[in-house]
Order: sequence, then C-alpha cells, then structure tokens
Amino acid sequence: MTSLALALLLPWVVGVLLLLADGRRRAVGWIAVAGLLANLGALIWLAVRVLPDGEQRIITGGWTDGVGIVLRADALGVVFALLSSLVVLVALVHEVLEGVRSRTFPALVVLLATGLTGVFLTGDVFNFYVFFELAMIAAYVLTAYGDDRHQLGAALIFAVVNLVGSFLFLIAVAATYHVTGTLEMSEVAGRMADVEPNAAILIAVTFFVAFGTKLGLFPFHFWLPAVYAGTRPAVAAILSGALANIGAYGLLRFGAGLLPNELELGSAVLIVIGSASVIYGALLAVSRRDPAEMLAYSAIGQAGYVLVALGVGGPIGLAAAVLYAILNALSKALLFLSGALRGALVAAAFAVGALSLAGMPPAAGFLGKLQLFRTGIEEGSVALIVLLFCGGALSFVYAFQLYQHEFWRGRRVATGTDSEPGVPEEPSGVAVRAVSVALAALVLALGIWPEPLLSLSADAAAVLHGGVPR
Amino acid sequence: MTLIFAIAAGVVFGSGAFLVLTNDLVRVVAGMVLISQSAVLVVIASGLSRGDAPILPTGDRAPSDPLVQAMALTAIVIGLAVTALLLAIVARVRATLRSLEVRELARDEAAHTAELERSLDTMHERLETDEAREEQ
Repeated sequence: MTSLALALLLPWVVGVLLLLADGRRRAVGWIAVAGLLANLGALIWLAVRVLPDGEQRIITGGWTDGVGIVLRADALGVVFALLSSLVVLVALVHEVLEGVRSRTFPALVVLLATGLTGVFLTGDVFNFYVFFELAMIAAYVLTAYGDDRHQLGAALIFAVVNLVGSFLFLIAVAATYHVTGTLEMSEVAGRMADVEPNAAILIAVTFFVAFGTKLGLFPFHFWLPAVYAGTRPAVAAILSGALANIGAYGLLRFGAGLLPNELELGSAVLIVIGSASVIYGALLAVSRRDPAEMLAYSAIGQAGYVLVALGVGGPIGLAAAVLYAILNALSKALLFLSGALRGALVAAAFAVGALSLAGMPPAAGFLGKLQLFRTGIEEGSVALIVLLFCGGALSFVYAFQLYQHEFWRGRRVATGTDSEPGVPEEPSGVAVRAVSVALAALVLALGIWPEPLLSLSADAAAVLHGGVPR
Repeated sequence: MTLIFAIAAGVVFGSGAFLVLTNDLVRVVAGMVLISQSAVLVVIASGLSRGDAPILPTGDRAPSDPLVQAMALTAIVIGLAVTALLLAIVARVRATLRSLEVRELARDEAAHTAELERSLDTMHERLETDEAREEQ
C-alpha cells in the first residue's frame, strides 16, 4: 500500500524540486539518479508483494469505493513499470556521466519516469490519460534536447502528431464513460460486454489509433525516424525503451483487458498491420546507413511483432507480447546507448544488443522470438511462421550491418585518415562504458537464466485473460 | 442535444485538422488548440445526466453529472500547458530559422539530411578504396 504511493510520490517530488536547480551541475544529476533509484526501489518492493498475492489497490484521498480515483498494481502493470523505470535510470546515468547539456534535463527525465509509473499503476481510465500526458509532455521537451538545431523540426512534428493521438485517446475515454457510466478499469471491463457493438467497435478503433501512434506502428510511424535520428542517444533510449512501452501496455490493457471481444473481432486486421510493420521496418532498416535511423526503422518493425502476438491472442500470444515488449525495450536501450560509445568492451555490449535484437540464443531476445514462433505454431499458420522467420533474418542483417559499420570499418577510417571529423576516437569514460556493459550483462543473464522472465510474462498475461498463471 | 454536441465537436475538430495542415506554424498551433477544444466538447457531451449545477443542487431538478466537468477542467488545463509548450517550440524555430513556415522547416531538414548522406558517401567510398588496396 505505502510502496504504491511512494513509487509515485517520491519521483514526483524530486522532479518538481529539481526543476528549480541547474541540471548541468553533476550533483543535481546525481540527485535525479537517487530519485529514480528510490522509485525503482519502491517498485521492486511493490513487485515483491504483488507478484505472489495478486493485485493491490488504493483509493486516493480516502474516498469511498466508486468515488475516488483508484490506483491499482497488478502483475502486468508492475512488470512494465519496473522495466520502464530501469531503462530510464540507465539512460539518465549514462547522460549524467557523459555530461548533461541543459538545465532542465534531469528534472524532465524524473518527471517522465513519474508519468510512466503512474500510467502503469493506475486503475482509472481518465487518470491514465493524465499520467500519460505528464510523460508525453516531458518527452516533447526532451526530443528538442541536444546541440542540433535540426532537432527542433523533429520535436515539433513529434509533439503535434502525438498530441492528436492523445486527444483521440481522450475522446475515446469520454466515449467509454458515456457507454459504461464508469471510469474504473475493472468495472469498464465488466460492463463493456453489454454495450452496443457498434459503439464498442468505434471506441476500440479510436484506442487502437491512439496507441498505434505512440508505438509507431506502420501506418502511423511517419514521425518516428526523424525524431530518433537526431536526438542524443540517452533520449533515444528513453523514447524507444521506456516511452514506447506506453503503446505496448496500452494495447494490452485496453485491447485484451477492457475490450477483449473487439480485439478478437479485429485480430486479422491486427495481424496484417503487424506483419506490414515487421516487413516495412526491417526492409527500410536494412537500406539505411545512419545508425540512429536504422535503429528507428527497426523500432517500427519490432512494434509489429508485439501487435502480431496480440492479434493471435490467447494465453500464449499475450505472454509472448509481454515478453517481446520487455526484451525489445531492453535491447533497444542497450543498442542506442552503446552505439554512441567507443572503447574496450563497448563493441561486445553492442554485439549482445544486436544478438538480442536478431533473436540469437545467448542473448535474451532469443526467448522473445521463440515465444513468437510458439504463437505462430499455436495459430497453425504457415504464413505467420514464414513472416516471423523473414523478419528475424532481416533484423539479423541490419543489426550486424550496423555492427560492421560502427565498430569495424568506422574505427579503421578514423585511425587511417586524420581528416575524418565526426567520429570521436578517444575511448569514452570507463564509467559510461560500465553502464552499457552492465545492461548487456543483464540482457545476457536473462537469456541464460530465462525462468524468472518467462514466469513473469506468463503472470502478467494471466491478469489479462483471467486464467491461472502457469 | 447529443447531435448538436456531435456536430459542434466534428466541425471544431475538422477546422483544427485543416489548420494543422497549413503552412504557417502559428496556425498549426491554433489548429492544435481547436482539436483539444473539440476533445473537451466530447468530454462534456458524454455526461450521463443534465440538470442543475452540481455544486449547489436546489432539489427541484436532478443535478447534472459532475464527473465530466471535472474531467473537462483537467483536459483544459493540460491543453493550456501543451499550447504553451508548442508556442515555445515555435518561438525557438523562429529564432533559429528566421521563418515561421512549415515548408522552410522541411527544406532545412531535407538539406541537413542530404548533407549527412553526402558525408556518409565519401566515408564509404574511402572505405571501399582502403579495403581494395588492402586486399591487393
């Protein structure tokens, strides 16, 4: 109970106070890191209590049940909150060690983490929107962070497109309230079955468009490459490793949790859009040479896998979607962070990330791909298995193309000729490299000892389909 | 009543979408304001009952739904914050680009991308020649 409140309150207070301080100073950066560590600690404490005994809920402000806003922590929410908090923490440590360049950066990152924690731990549909905007507004400012003035255009596009998505989400929330008469997620789920099908389908489509925009799925992806390509690596890691989780979590929670009938109705559409995302993202990623742009297109493809798994549905499909979202967030953060560094062991960390993205055995990404193949077999669809195989092969190609360009050829060019400007060749600081290596070690460890992660994703999926966790 | 609200929200959203697609950045921001207002209209329209002001029910008529009013208030505040943020970004675009046109922004970005590609081209060419020399 207290851990649930603390997980939200601590980073919020720290974030607001940090806005007053100059974030370029080292000490302020470390205070922000401490705030995020406290958030992560509270979430771990919460997870230890929630995972064995099911969900915890509090009604804010001491109101009676049915009046106050409900905060609720269940396995799905806690898993996503832990993951996002971890990714944001790693990215912040990375940037503090590299040197923060703007006075608001640490405060914004902490506030973004607050918003994300709130999104995953709220049990109220409208409250979800409020936390979601808190995280998004911090992200709009963060995309403009950095030295590149060309980034402003990307930040403007990002803000406008995602705001339209947010307002569509708000409209869908209002419609949900109108047809069900409640805003509490568990009540909505119960009453949605009696709602007139036409209205329910419209609401489901609006939610899908809103979350598809956040996640950067194929028809709504157009803002994504420009934004990822120009930002600092830490911001790109936060966007793709933490903020994109809102999209995946939203699709799972609102699709499988609140509107299961409509999800089943639209499963063919989801699988088709997901497949289009997978192929489109992978093909364009192979054709790009700029590393950040390549990873941005790969993010579109990876989002497609989550959607395909969600479309197949059932215990196995949902567990695969959760697992894939977790692993993808970790490997994307690792790739963005280590891709910008130079020096001993960084190449190894990057290679672990690339292996994880491609789904090769020692890295954790293999589990995600394996579970996806299981869903394909469960569905009994040859086309789906072929698609997954092609997508996996293409991601192998672009991940190692990137490795080759960045760590084999790039180094030789810079040492061979003096006139090469861009690539900094002095190795990055030991501490910064240690952060990436630690993240790589985590990805490897999860791949070698997969049991906890597998049971975690099965538990999280069990929340949605209401079955017993296996 | 619902029909009137629906038409009003549709018209406001449509006008907002039209403005977002224009060339002037300030109009784009104005379009976002309109879209946010249409969402507020939908929120107000989704109230379950209509009647007296819920803060002071007279007892003669049933009070109207207070929940949607709370939601609308929150949405208005968020809309205000977002508008301020968008205007700040537009002001910075104007300071760096000395222009308020979307086309100018796109041209600048295209020029930047082309420059990046060219620098990659020369790098790759040099790599190829280096490798060819080494193989001999």
